[in-house]
This record gives sequence, C-alpha cells and structure tokens, in this order.
Amino acid sequence: MRFGVKYCGGCNPRYQRGEFLKMISRHFQNRVDFELAKEDTLYDGLLVLGGCSNCCPDYRHFQTKTPPILVWDQDHFNQVTSQIESRLAKAREK
Amino acid sequence: MALMTKEQYIESLRALKTQVYMFGEKVENWVDDPIIRPSINCMAMTYELAQQPEYEDLMTATSSLTGKKINRFAHLHQSTDDLRKKVKMQRLLGQKTASCFQRCVGMDAFNAVFSTTYEIDEKYGTHYHENFKKYAEYIQEKDFVVDGAMTDPKGDRGLAPHLQKDPDLFVRIVERREDGIVVCGAKAHQTGSINSHEHLIMPTISMTEADKDYAVSFAVPSDAEGVFMIYGRQSCDTRKLEKGTGIDVGNKQFGGQEALVVFDHVFVPNDRIFMCGEWDFSGMLVERFAGYHRQSYGGCKVGVGDVLIGAAAVAADYNGAAKASHIKDKLIEMTHLNETLYCCGIACSAEGYATKAGNYQIDLLLANVCKQNITRFPYEIVRLAEDIAGGLMVTMPSEADFTSDVKVPTKSEMTIGEYCRKYFKGNGDVPVENRQRIMRFIENLCLGAAAVGYRTESMHGAGSPQAQRIMIARQGNLAHKKELAKALAGIQE
Repeated sequence: MRFGVKYCGGCNPRYQRGEFLKMISRHFQNRVDFELAKEDTLYDGLLVLGGCSNCCPDYRHFQTKTPPILVWDQDHFNQVTSQIESRLAKAREK
Repeated sequence: MALMTKEQYIESLRALKTQVYMFGEKVENWVDDPIIRPSINCMAMTYELAQQPEYEDLMTATSSLTGKKINRFAHLHQSTDDLRKKVKMQRLLGQKTASCFQRCVGMDAFNAVFSTTYEIDEKYGTHYHENFKKYAEYIQEKDFVVDGAMTDPKGDRGLAPHLQKDPDLFVRIVERREDGIVVCGAKAHQTGSINSHEHLIMPTISMTEADKDYAVSFAVPSDAEGVFMIYGRQSCDTRKLEKGTGIDVGNKQFGGQEALVVFDHVFVPNDRIFMCGEWDFSGMLVERFAGYHRQSYGGCKVGVGDVLIGAAAVAADYNGAAKASHIKDKLIEMTHLNETLYCCGIACSAEGYATKAGNYQIDLLLANVCKQNITRFPYEIVRLAEDIAGGLMVTMPSEADFTSDVKVPTKSEMTIGEYCRKYFKGNGDVPVENRQRIMRFIENLCLGAAAVGYRTESMHGAGSPQAQRIMIARQGNLAHKKELAKALAGIQE
C-alpha cells in the first residue's frame, strides 16, 4: 500500500509531526510506503499531518483512493494505525 | 528557477554590486561582514524553510500569474486562506529566527501595487498594471527578495512634500524622458534593503496635485546606478566584532537590518514605472500597503514573542523559580498577550476581500487594531520577560570573564573564571554556560540588537501608533454605533 503524506506549515505545532510520521512508518514497515505527496500520483491513502486542531494544509489537489486521514494530535496514533490496518485488511480481502 | 536554495540566495547577493556604507566607510564585502551577516542568514531562512516538506504548505504557493510553485513572499494573495497562511508563515519565521526576517515588506508592497495599478489604469487608461504583472512574474521566476520601500525621511512633518526646504526629503521625479524618468530622494528605515535584489518604491503619504512629482512608484535593482545604502547601527552591534563573544551577542546567527537608501539621479525605464504623477492614488497605495503590513505584524512579532516566552520560561527553570505561582502567572499573561496579537492577525485575514484586480486585501479596521496592539503588547511581554529573568541579564560579566584563567591574589587562589562560574550558578543541574546563554539571549531581544525589531519596530514599523488611530477613527463606523444606542434607548430624532 502506498500513502501520500502532506504536512501543514508548522506555525505552532503541538507535537513533532516528523517524529509522528517516523512512528507510523515504523509501525507499518514493509507493509505501507509513506512518501511526500505529489500531485501527479494516485495514492491508496493520504495522511495529513496538521500541527493543531485547525489542520489547515491544503490537500484537496492530491489524488487518493480512500478518504484522507487527518492528524492533529500525537494521541491520534492508535486511531490512525487502526484505520490503516483496516484498509490493509480490506485490500487483502480483495 | 522558481525556488532558490539558501545557498543560491547568498551567492546571488555576491553577484550584486550594491553600494553599502557603514561606520563612515564603504563596505566592499558586505555579504560576509560580521555585523551584516546575521541579517542575511535571517533572510536566507525564508529560502531554507521553503525547501522543507514540513514547512512548504506555508512557505510556498501556486502563482496566480504562471501556475508555478513560488515562494509565498512573492505571491499575490488569492483568498482569505492565503492571507491567513501569510500570517502563519510569518509566525513560523519569527519562531525560527527570533528576529525581523525582512522579506515581508516586499510581499506587502507587491500586493498593494498590484491592486492599485489596476485601479489607476481603470481611471487614466495607463499601463502600469501590465508593467507590474511583468515585473511580478520576473520576481517570482527569479525568487528574488524585494524591498518594499515606502517611508521617506519627511523633513518638516508639518509641510507637504513640495513645500519642504530641501525638495529631496521625499522621493520625487526630477526629469521626465521619453524612455523613462529620473528620480532623487531617499527612503529611511529600510528593512532588509541591503539583502534585497530589488527595490519597489511607493509614495509615503496621501498627496495633492501640487505634490504630483512625488506621486511615484517604480522598481529598480538594488545595485542600480545612483542607489546606495547607509547601514543603521543597532544597540550592542559591535559585540559581533569582538573575539570570543558568541554567548555575549545573544543571538549569534540571526538579526534584523535597516538602512537609509539614497536615490541620487536614478534612471527608471518606462516598463518599471507603476505610478507617475497620479497623485490621487497615492493615498490608496499607502493605505493598502500599510494595511497589509499591519497584518504582517500579527504574525512575525508573535513568532518572536513565542521565542521570548520560551526563553523566559527557561530562565525561570535555570533560576530555580519555575514553580513559583507568580512566575507561572506571568508566563500565562505573556502567552495571553501574544495570542491576542495572533488573533488580530488571523481576524483581519479571515475578513479579507477581493480587490478589483483580483488579489485579496485584509480588513483595514482589524489590521489597524492589530498593529495598535502591537505598539503595546511586545513592550509588556518584554517587561514580564525581564521580570522573570532577573537583573542578571544586564549585570552578568562578559563571556571572557567566565573563561578567564587569570588568578585573583586571594586565599582561595581561584581564577576569575572560577569565581564567575561559582557565583553565577543557579539551579544545581544546569551548567552555568546555559544560564549565560539564556540571559544574553533575553538581553538581545529586550534591549540588544534584536530589540530594534521586537520593540521599536513594533512601535513605528508599518506606521506609528497615531497612524492606526486615524484609520480606526475612519473605519470604526461610529455613526452606526450611535444609531444602535439611540434605538435601544428609545430616542427618536
């Protein structure tokens, strides 16, 4: 599975967005590839890393097969991993 | 080249032949001058962050002119979202540099000139807007820094430009030629002028027909013939020249910059002229530029404030005072003040509107309220930071004393350095050097070189307090407020 990643601009982040991505990447090592989102690529999913609840980055121009996953708190870790796990499971079923 | 790297930016400055004077002498290699270089590093941060994925959402934008990815500092705002992201970008850069990073004036001038030239052309059938669009594309493509230059020396503040004893106290047209114009005059307090590739000149006040030679807007390269700059010195600036004073400087890497920019018979070709005698539009241009720049301060000063609040909290930790309730309360107060400023920056952006030219303008009333608060709150934040830090931030011996091995003829036979390290120890876990560093850093922001940007620039930059009060009076809709009161009080007139 291939996920695009889009960061917000980081004007007042409440957590380390880069570290959060590393944790997510480690969790899904060899199962999901995370890369900085490019406009001309169709992704299986899009991970939007906002620094606060405003989660302001513009991600509408990216193409993704499934709804984007929005993060604005490091406590979202379990929520994010379970969402991606369930998408992996569905992909396996197909 | 739509986005330059930090290194490319610094090299591009070396290619310029900008004429710089400081301490009465011409500075040949100003790029590497220890007094000037921190301000170049600061500007370079606007390039560095634009290259990083974690910041590019704020630092870059898609050009409305070419569809290419550009640095947001060269962007024409296309929505209220763009206006908000501008403020957020400025907060980010304030956080990364704890200084004035200087590139905002160009962005604000860009947007003000873009919309004003459209309306001049609409009235007079001129071609300034097309001129400016071509110029804007050039700047976006080159990823250049533009100094948006508005403030004239002004001479006798009670006299209009054409009545000044010395006619050059406001920038003016001295010759009209078939291929362009020749200008004379100067712009004072020019933030980042030496670090800029280009200068975009605007008039500084509303004018009458008698001042039409002063109603002029144009762009020239910073190294155009007849242009030179005299560097403005800052508090404690020569600490940067002393050896072994990395700590004493406070913020060795970054700083701001202002200069007097003189135009001595400078030729401007026709395609770089954006206003030439249309005196009735000088007020519009000033008002729009000032509005944008008053919005800007709701971002940049907040970012610097973030760092100062953090520094005060670190000082409290090092002093062993962090648990005191009054210290906690002061940090809350600093945060409250700082976030209030941010609220103003975001609010005037959210309430922005499209101009006739299509780019977005901020809400003028809210932007002026923003800047009026900026003339006050950073001073209170500084006062609280000094309160928390303690007197050591201004009484501590030099870095050289802390490292001195000169023995003092006493019974203890200790060195000056040993005495300093003994008596300036705070919280037991913290190295004395860390305490030195944070105290000098706070000194730098509160009353050293960075105070130019954080304090006095907050007062006078983008217009002194009275300028905002005039705009608040104009925009405040007092008649409506009176009607509201009369209606509820049952008054019928």
